[in-house]
Amino acid sequence: MGTDGPILELRAAQPSFDESGMAPVPVDLRLMPGDCAIVDCRDYARATLFADLCCGMVALASGSVRFMGLDWTALGDRQLYALRGRIGRITRRESWLDLFGTHQNIILQQLHHTTRPTDDVVAEAMSLGQAFGFPGLPLTSPGRLSAADLARASCVRAFLGRPDLLMLEDVSDMLPPDATVALLEAITAARDRGAAVMWFARHGATWAEYRPAVNVHLRLLDEGLFPVRGV
Amino acid sequence: MTGGAAAPTPTPTEAADGRRPGWLASMPGRVRPALAWLGRLTRHQVRFVLVLIGSAWGVVRESMRPNAWRRTVRDEFRLCLSQVVGGGFLSTVITATLAGLMVVSQAVYWLGFAGMAQMTGSILVSVLVREISPVLVGIILLGRSGMLVLTEIGLLTLGGQIRALQAQGMDPFLLLVLPRTCAFMLGGFTLGILFATNALLMGFIITHASGVITTSVWTFFANVLGAMSSWDFVVIPLKFILVGFFVGLGACMTGLLADVDDTIATLMPRGFARGIMTVMVVNILFSLWG
Repeated sequence: MGTDGPILELRAAQPSFDESGMAPVPVDLRLMPGDCAIVDCRDYARATLFADLCCGMVALASGSVRFMGLDWTALGDRQLYALRGRIGRITRRESWLDLFGTHQNIILQQLHHTTRPTDDVVAEAMSLGQAFGFPGLPLTSPGRLSAADLARASCVRAFLGRPDLLMLEDVSDMLPPDATVALLEAITAARDRGAAVMWFARHGATWAEYRPAVNVHLRLLDEGLFPVRGV
Repeated sequence: MTGGAAAPTPTPTEAADGRRPGWLASMPGRVRPALAWLGRLTRHQVRFVLVLIGSAWGVVRESMRPNAWRRTVRDEFRLCLSQVVGGGFLSTVITATLAGLMVVSQAVYWLGFAGMAQMTGSILVSVLVREISPVLVGIILLGRSGMLVLTEIGLLTLGGQIRALQAQGMDPFLLLVLPRTCAFMLGGFTLGILFATNALLMGFIITHASGVITTSVWTFFANVLGAMSSWDFVVIPLKFILVGFFVGLGACMTGLLADVDDTIATLMPRGFARGIMTVMVVNILFSLWG
């Protein structure tokens, strides 16, 4: 599933304050295939809410949010969920189900949204897992993994299945240094095949090594989303 | 506003002329809060019933759609079914044995004493199989598996993992509610038939051993089956199926609709009370209907 237009487009999207608690200010943003937007945001919760807004999970008072040319508000439930299956997310929100092992958590999205053979999905997850520093795929319950291993597992889950949009919240405080290079390589590979990336960062140091490859730099504040000069 | 004449105050004469007196004018203002309170209370009380009806229709409709039964949903169905049937098997056998010992032996003994032994089959069918079995199976389902499901889904809701599932494009209704409700439905039928058969068999063994019944087991079961009307062949399995369906659905929806103020300590008693109510209502409706 590809698109010639923007992957993600927010047109004067004003979140509903009553339902989300986000400041009701209009936000404009346009991410083309291959774009990488760094969003400076010191507040983890605000970053998560903004990512939710981009994924059509926050009600709008006005404006529109389009993903791959489709307006979230114009979609029915089935289409909406199917479209979200094209988004890879690293989130700081509690997102691991203790009902399953970590390996099942990682491949769950792919198993749910695609008809790819399970062996293929597992093989791709194994390969990504090794790139991010796992010996294979962790089978234990997510509750028993360290924060560092959960951050690695989040990366594997986000990049699995060639998503069209990557929403990466800042896990640099948990991600071990050996996995950072793998993260940058995975971002580059995803952009090369046409995915757009939105990377939330708390500090400049998080993405300093990737600075030359970044083409959009924004700052997310309570007052809205503002462009930053000098990328 | 200055310089104008003061507004004349209404007099009883004017009120009699057709203008509303003061107490009547203020009536809507006084009644409105009471009506609002009554409305809130009514909505709050019937909310779960409406949710249950709506989600039952949702489960039936989604389960008809082949695309809904993707591999993640099938896996969840398998896991839940093995938990429901495997977890409730021993409890069902033991409860059915005890119920069989009490009900069958007492019924056979007292009916024989009263010279109404020919009524044994119909009494057992109407009391044990049609009325007691669905209630006890519902309680076993609720206690062994329903509360587990409620806790699992409730913790996911309170922990924010349900929202994370939605962010990954996985509908919690499709992934958790549909397969679990269907598993409870099938589990309810399986355990119900097991319960009824086991209770009758244990009752027969005890009464046969004590010499109250001298017929063979085949004659005993033939009498029981002979006492069943064609309506019973429909209603009894339907009761087991619906009890399982609504116990599972009620547990899932109670967990999924947990508020931010809820804790497991508030969810579990609520889920248990709703589950018991569901079991009783299904049984009573069928009893009235039949």
